Amino acid sequence: MKTETVTSRSDVIARRSFFISRIPLPLLPFFLFVGFFLLWPIAVLVVRSFKGKKNEWTLANFDAALHGPYFHSFVSSIKLASTTALSGSIIGAFFAYVIYKYAGNRLTVILDSISAVFANSGGVPLAFMFIAAFGMQGLVTKTLKNLGIDIYAGHFSLFSFTGLVLVYTFFQVPIMILVFKPALHGLKKEWSDANSSLGGNSLTYWMRIGIPILTPAFLGAFLLLFASGFSAYATARAMTAGNVPLVPLVIGTLIDGNVISNEANLGSALAVGMIFIAVITMSGYLLAQKYASRWRTK
Amino acid sequence: MATLIFFIPLTAAAEFSFRGDFGKGHSFTNYIWLLKQDGFLENLLITLQLGAIAGILNLLLMVPTAVITNIKFPKWRPVLDFICILPLIIPVVSLAVGAQVAMPEFLQNSQYELAFFFVIIALPFTYRTLDNALVSVELKTLVEASRNLGAGWFLTIVRVIFPSIRTGVIGAIFLSFALSLGEYTLTVLLHWTTFPTWTVIASQQNILGAIALSVFSLVGAVLLMIFISIFANKRNKRLNQQVEEEFA
Repeated sequence: MKTETVTSRSDVIARRSFFISRIPLPLLPFFLFVGFFLLWPIAVLVVRSFKGKKNEWTLANFDAALHGPYFHSFVSSIKLASTTALSGSIIGAFFAYVIYKYAGNRLTVILDSISAVFANSGGVPLAFMFIAAFGMQGLVTKTLKNLGIDIYAGHFSLFSFTGLVLVYTFFQVPIMILVFKPALHGLKKEWSDANSSLGGNSLTYWMRIGIPILTPAFLGAFLLLFASGFSAYATARAMTAGNVPLVPLVIGTLIDGNVISNEANLGSALAVGMIFIAVITMSGYLLAQKYASRWRTK
Repeated sequence: MATLIFFIPLTAAAEFSFRGDFGKGHSFTNYIWLLKQDGFLENLLITLQLGAIAGILNLLLMVPTAVITNIKFPKWRPVLDFICILPLIIPVVSLAVGAQVAMPEFLQNSQYELAFFFVIIALPFTYRTLDNALVSVELKTLVEASRNLGAGWFLTIVRVIFPSIRTGVIGAIFLSFALSLGEYTLTVLLHWTTFPTWTVIASQQNILGAIALSVFSLVGAVLLMIFISIFANKRNKRLNQQVEEEFA
């Protein structure tokens, strides 16, 4: 038997390129493209976040990110994301159920299309629509005023935290509808038949079958909504002029060029922080998805 | 009933968008104002161009990749699945910062760099669409039949597989095109101007015009989506019918 004890330089290089050389040739364009435009920027970003202004290794960026105003922006982003994920998932689950139960084929197509547009490209237009509806001169504001309800009597402002919650909910609900409806379609008729033949009513059905089976899907969807609310940028930028400090907005101002030079890498650190939180929530989402699909037959 | 809530802001916005001069009466004033703005056509064209490039790139890159992985390298599927979900996990803001620090100068100086990133952002959606389409056809049988009849790989993909997943391919291209048209975050953070970002700038002068535009783009997108799903459904039904007739 031949044993190799000497590791030459070429061996190391060969081992390093082992992974790349194993990629089948037809798949190479894809890996090159994704590697250059997705993995490379993220890798550089992570390295940058550990560098100081003299290109030395440091943790100072993360230290800054975890204290003072930058930490505060993380807190308010998380607060906004969890509030709207909660409202969005509850309202969205209800809507999804109503559509699943009562909407015909044609109406479902229309509602699905509306949900898809609102969920994916709603951002900026949605913000303007809300200004039209709930702004000072908005239609809803005026109608309510005529009915004797002045929503601006208190501290309400569309450009505040509450306002953002309202607008975010309107893109969270469609996302929830899109991701939760397949779970509802996974509920089999046999189960409700089995329930009634065993003498259960609709309350026992939901308590014993429906809710336990839908729980993983619901939790997963909640995490997905959290992630989408957490990283949303367009809506917030169009709505607030810096009234509510959210991480994406702070990063936006940091990389806008007019920053003090020693804060240049702080933006990278904040961006890495966002990735960190997003990865945790999305892993939870993917895990929950796995649980949720247990009951689905292929 | 419940879905009515969605229409309240939309109707309010529509009503707003038709308000005439000085908020009196209703007319098309705001829509006409919009058309007259500097950069309307210019930005619309560049955005359409970027969307088209992203769509074509997607077609060239993802269709062969998805097809070949499914037929020849099923072992690589988990890797592809994982990579294609990454853009959904990584916040766009973070990707934008990364792009700004990592991309070479010559790319950063060209607005066409956006098209590449639009492909990345659309990746989770296009890959899903293509994969679903591929799973639903008897790929193995088709490939074996075609290969047995003497067709090479290229011919097999172009003449056999491509037609059978046409709906999926069209859906994927359309998705990446649509996402590109509405992309805002990456564009604005990389300091480019496209139609969506131009809208926000224009809105600072005339909020009514911006609202008009929002209504226009949302309603347009919804109609397009409905049209596409009906088209896809019809095609599927027709295909199923053909299959049933042939086997009857």
